[in-house]
Amino acid sequence: MTTRLASGAVGLGDRVILAATIALAIVMVLPMLWAVGLSMKSNAELLVDTNSVLKAPWTLRNYYDILIGSGVFRWLLNSIIVSVGMSLGVLALSSLAGYGFARLEFPGRNVIFVLVLFGLAIPEQAVILVRHQLFSDLNLHNTYAGLMLPGMSAPFGVFLMTQYFKAIPTEVDEAAMLDNASRFKIFWRVLLPMTLPAQATLGIFTFLHAWNDYWWPLVSGTNEQMYTLTVGIASTQMNFAESAGLGYLMAQAVFAGLPILIVYMFFQKYIVRAVSGAAT
Amino acid sequence: MRRLLATLLGCVALASCGVHQAPNEIVVQRFFGTCKAEYGNRTDVENAEGECGIMTTLINEFSAQNPDVKVRVSPVAWPGYNQLAAQLASGDPPDLVTMHLSAISDYQSRKLLEPLGKDLRAAGVDPNGFTAASLASVSKQGEIYGLPIDNWAPLWHINMNYFRQAGLVKDGKPILPRSPEELLAQARQFKQATGKPYFVQALANERAAYSRNLYTLLMQQNVDFFADPQRVQLQSPEVKQVLEMFRQIYVEDLTTKNQDYAAATNGFINGAGGVYLVGTWMIGDFDAESRKLDRPLSSGYAVMPWPQLYGRDATFIDGHAWVMPAKDRTPQQRDAIFRLLKFVADNDFEWSRTGHLPAYQAVIESERFNALPHRSEIAKISSTGAPLPSDVQRQFPVQDIIGEEMAAAITGHKSVDAALADAEHRVNDLLFHLL
Repeated sequence: MTTRLASGAVGLGDRVILAATIALAIVMVLPMLWAVGLSMKSNAELLVDTNSVLKAPWTLRNYYDILIGSGVFRWLLNSIIVSVGMSLGVLALSSLAGYGFARLEFPGRNVIFVLVLFGLAIPEQAVILVRHQLFSDLNLHNTYAGLMLPGMSAPFGVFLMTQYFKAIPTEVDEAAMLDNASRFKIFWRVLLPMTLPAQATLGIFTFLHAWNDYWWPLVSGTNEQMYTLTVGIASTQMNFAESAGLGYLMAQAVFAGLPILIVYMFFQKYIVRAVSGAAT
Repeated sequence: MRRLLATLLGCVALASCGVHQAPNEIVVQRFFGTCKAEYGNRTDVENAEGECGIMTTLINEFSAQNPDVKVRVSPVAWPGYNQLAAQLASGDPPDLVTMHLSAISDYQSRKLLEPLGKDLRAAGVDPNGFTAASLASVSKQGEIYGLPIDNWAPLWHINMNYFRQAGLVKDGKPILPRSPEELLAQARQFKQATGKPYFVQALANERAAYSRNLYTLLMQQNVDFFADPQRVQLQSPEVKQVLEMFRQIYVEDLTTKNQDYAAATNGFINGAGGVYLVGTWMIGDFDAESRKLDRPLSSGYAVMPWPQLYGRDATFIDGHAWVMPAKDRTPQQRDAIFRLLKFVADNDFEWSRTGHLPAYQAVIESERFNALPHRSEIAKISSTGAPLPSDVQRQFPVQDIIGEEMAAAITGHKSVDAALADAEHRVNDLLFHLL
C-alpha cells in the first residue's frame, strides 16, 4: 500500500480506509484536546459555561496549583520508584522462572506451571482482602515493598518468558556448556540477551500497569508520604470537583497522563512492537 | 556479580523505607481536597473561602497556636472510606478522621471508634450545645462518637426572576407549595408562564438526590420507614404517592432531564429552570452569581428548605463530623487531639461560611451567622432537620439502592410498584447480610 500511495495509484477502498482512520483518530483525540482546553480555564468560568474553553482568557493557574499546592513531586517520585521497581522485579522473577520452566527438568514442573497460569484467571479483587491482611501482619503497608511486591507476582510474565526461552534452540545452551559455562552464566550471558524483545514488552506493560494502578496503592500506601501519583492527585480533589473544580480536575488528568506520554514518545517503537506481538 | 548483589541490597533497603509517627504527632485525615497553593501557609481563617480554604487555615492556625503539637494532615480522595477501612484493618488508623454523620454507625457498631463524650466535656466542649440534629447524629447508645462540624440538607435553590414572571412571588418571597397537588399546579403555572421546567434536577448518574428527597417527604408524612433499623419498609401508599408525584413531574416535562450533577448546576446558573434541588453547599456559588449583572440569577436568587407538603415540617439532613478511630495513643497525642477538637468547635462559625449549617445552636442563633447571605431562611433546619435513625447501618449504599430504583420508576423503566418492591428487597438483603 505504501508503494501504491507513493506512486499515487490509490484506490477507492484505500481512500475510504484512510478517511475512516482519520475520522477515528479525530474522535480519539478530540476529548483529549477538550480536556487540555478545560484544564487551561478557571474553575469559576467553567462553572458557568464549559463552552468558554473556546475563547480567552486561558490560564495555567490549575497547573500552578498542582505543582505548588500539593505533594506532587513526592508522589511522582513514589510512582517512579514503584513502577521501575516493580518492572525490574517482574523482569527478574519472570526471566528466572521462565528459564526454569523452559530449560530445567524437575519433578512437578508441569503441575507448577499450570498452577502459575491459574493466576491469570484470578482477579485482584478476589485476593485483595487476604493480601491486605498478610501485608499488615508483615508490617509492609506504607512501604515501597508493600506497594511493589503484589505486582511482582506476574503469571503473564512467567508465561511469556517461558514461551520465549522455549523458542531458543537448546543447541545454544549446549555450545556454551562445551565452553565450560555454568548454568547461571548461560542464563545471564547467553540466553537473557536473546530475550530482550520479550523483556521490553513485559517491562513496558508492567510499567504502565504499575503507573496507572489505583486500587492497591489506595489501600496499602495510606500515608500521604507514600501516595503514588494516581492516589495523591485524587486526594487533592474537592467534593463535586466535576462542577466546582472542573479546570483543576482536567489539569490533574493531563498532568497524570504526561509521564506516560513521555514514556510513549521514547519507547514508541517497543510499545508498538509489544502490542502487535501480544496480538499475534 | 558483586554489582548485581549490591544493586539488589540497595533495592531491598529502599523497598523497606516507610514513615513513622512521632509521640507528639497526630495524623488528621480529611476530605475537602487540597489548596496549599493559596492557603498552605495562611492562618487568617476569617478571610479564607470554601471548605478546603477554611479547613486548611483552621488547622494551620491551630498548629501555630500549639507549637508543641505536630499535626500531619493527610488529605484523602472523597469520601476516603476505602482507605480508612484498610487502615483500620491493618491496625494503623489516623487519629482524627472526617466522616459523614450517616457513616458513623458503620464504624461505631464494630467498636472501631472511641467514645468522645467524657473527654470532650473535659476539654470544654459541651455536647448539649450541639443542635438537636447534630446531637442525634453523633449519639449512639447513649454515647457521643464524633464532634459534629455541620449539617447539610437538600434545599430549594430558586430563580426568583422566573418565579416573578410566573406570578409566584409575594412580598418579595417565593410562593411555595403546601401540598403535592399544589406543587404540580404551581409547576404547571410556572412552565406555562416561562416556558421553562419548574425543576432543575440531576437525574443522570445520580442516586443520592432521589433518596434525600424521598426521605424528606416521608419524614413530612411521619412515616417511620426504618422502624426496624435492619429492615426498610418501602411498599406503602405514602412512598408510592411520593414516587408517583416525581413521575408525574417527569412525564409532564416539569423538570430538566438527562442531566448529571455538573450539567444541572451549569443549567441552573444559566437559567434552565426555576428550582434546583441540591444541598447547602451551593449557596455561596449561586449567591455570587446573583450579584453579577445580566445573568439569569442577577438579583434574583433565593434559597429555602424543602417546603412542607404534608403534616410535619421536616427535612432529611446529614453532615460531617470528626471521629477518633480506636487505637493506642500516647497521653500527648490524646491531649493534642482534644485540644484540636476544642479549637474546631470554637470556630464552628467560620466553618458555617462554607454554606453548611453550624452544628452548634449558639452559632445558629448568633447575629453574625444570620447576617450571612440567605442563612436566616434555612436556619430552621437545625430544628426541623432529622437524620435517619442512628442504628441504621450502610446508609450510603442504602441511599444508592433506593436512588437507583427511584430513578428507574421516575423515568419509566419500571413500574412504581416494581421499583419499590425491588428497592425494599435489595436494601433488606444488604442489611440482613451485615457482618
